[in-house]
Amino acid sequence: MANPLRLYLACIKNTLEAAMCLQNFPCQEVERHNKPEVELKTSPELLLNPVLICRNEAEKCLIETSINSLRISLKVKQADELENILTKKFLRFLSMRAEAFQVLRRKPVQGYDISFLITNYHCEEMQKQKLIDFIIQFMEDIEKEISELKISVNTRGRLVATEFLKQFM
Amino acid sequence: MAGGGGFVEAEAIIARIETKSTKIESLLKQYKPVEALKTALEGSPPKTLDERCKSANWIVVHRALMAIKDIEGMLNALDVEYYDILMKYLYRGLSTGDRPTCDQCLKIHEKLTERAGLGCILRCLTDTLNTV
Repeated sequence: MANPLRLYLACIKNTLEAAMCLQNFPCQEVERHNKPEVELKTSPELLLNPVLICRNEAEKCLIETSINSLRISLKVKQADELENILTKKFLRFLSMRAEAFQVLRRKPVQGYDISFLITNYHCEEMQKQKLIDFIIQFMEDIEKEISELKISVNTRGRLVATEFLKQFM
Repeated sequence: MAGGGGFVEAEAIIARIETKSTKIESLLKQYKPVEALKTALEGSPPKTLDERCKSANWIVVHRALMAIKDIEGMLNALDVEYYDILMKYLYRGLSTGDRPTCDQCLKIHEKLTERAGLGCILRCLTDTLNTV
């Protein structure tokens, strides 16, 4: 249904707009190093409360912020085994090309399907609003892509089966 | 000694939450969900570290939240100082993953953000002392 999806995306959008307040912060422990604090979690004073937004039992979004970085982890709805495999393969395909996306994380956080890591450098080069719109658009498109893939797998399977069984008729 | 004192306080707070929950049940029976929510949010334990107090209070607030049908009216009636606490409870509700709770929390979240703005969300994220 469109309406709960719209509310879910609106909630994530508002939370991201509030959470994306990043600034440069060199590492406190090691000289001349600059690390995304949300990944290391060494100093509690640099971290904000993580927020978990669930749409239902299957779909959720974890947003963790720190002073210089923000991590968004998504779990996509997977109704059956086929969607499970398709989602895993498709998102692994995207994650392996994380260099091209810049804000994508190569490995999703434990328990989720895909993760984004946005640092202050990304916010300096790119516009904050556009980053947020990108993530929301990504979430909308993932669902469409997975269902298209599922339909094409089923169609191909049916065609192959019909052709194969024709020889027995 | 601090541990012992904390324990006693926790018991006192839980007892207060019990009385609050009976009051809220009666308000809900009288079809006054807005009053019920106000009562639930009022005595929120501010600096307790005890998980049981927080869970007990959350159950009470959850009951009141699910009974709300008219969100606009409820936000009109609620004082501004309760917006932050309500937002914290909304995020707690969203983290449960239970479908009806999440639906209700998402609806209220949208309206509350329109009213209170992004500052309300940011205060929830940054406030590590008074968590719910």
